Amino acid sequence: MLTCKEFDDFMVDYLDQRLPVWQKFMCWLHVKMCRECAGFIRDYHRAIKLGQNAYDAPDEPVPNSVPEELIKAALSHKRSK
Amino acid sequence: MVVASGPVNSTGVSAVIDVSRSSNLDGDDKQLLECLRAGEDGCYEMLVRRFGPQVLATAKRYLRSDADAADCFQDTFLAVFEGIDKFEQRSAIGTWVRGITVYQCLMRIRAQGRRHEESIEHLLPVFDENGDRVQSFAGVRSSDIGDSIDATQLKIIVRQKIHELPDTYRVVLLLRDIDGHTTKQTAAILGISVTAAKTRLHRARSALTSLLKPEMERLNYHADM
Repeated sequence: MLTCKEFDDFMVDYLDQRLPVWQKFMCWLHVKMCRECAGFIRDYHRAIKLGQNAYDAPDEPVPNSVPEELIKAALSHKRSK
Repeated sequence: MVVASGPVNSTGVSAVIDVSRSSNLDGDDKQLLECLRAGEDGCYEMLVRRFGPQVLATAKRYLRSDADAADCFQDTFLAVFEGIDKFEQRSAIGTWVRGITVYQCLMRIRAQGRRHEESIEHLLPVFDENGDRVQSFAGVRSSDIGDSIDATQLKIIVRQKIHELPDTYRVVLLLRDIDGHTTKQTAAILGISVTAAKTRLHRARSALTSLLKPEMERLNYHADM
């Protein structure tokens, strides 16, 4: 069975489902057998989700969110070229 | 993966911007591009007003101060104006502009050096000599906002926690988990190996997990696994 440290080393690929079948199985087994790692990967996954939720729709334009002077400065750069 | 060359910036460095999640130009984009290439001033203003909020939001996400974000805003549109003739139309204009914004942010972060690089070792998992995990979230404080918390407050707290990460880790996290690039794309954008990108990402996520642990416990937050 993997140690917690070995499992930790595989965690990014494990969550991305990029591990070969055998390593994936070994990780899955480790999570089933190890309460600490099961708790950690649960929190780790939640932290990723919380981060994504914190920036959901990041490109959604906010009306009038750009100060007018910034817009004017950008355009004056263009005109001065 | 489609990779487009961005404009050559003032330092002479050509930006390599990933646009693999992009689409081709729609009618509005085509019209705007033609107008820009014709050199009509009104179209430049239209471009800045249309994509300005997106550029500023992205710059504020990557950079630590409003002043830096404002400078990045200027640099981005300067690069966009200079590069519009070289725009290869492999992506929507907005995607291209976003790529340039991220590139300008990364250049600015790089130029500022590692002044924000504090150690995150105390936030990383600890293992004993047998390789067993040792629980340790010592020194991580909950935010001081009382017991109840709404979704907006939570977003603010999470953004603050991400902001606490050193740039080396924060940028990888933003590129990979927030902006949705693959690990390979993230590595290419940063000019590092895929292995290094994975290592930084894992350390960033682990540190963020530690930083958010008190909030998660307080919220008893449940996310789908």
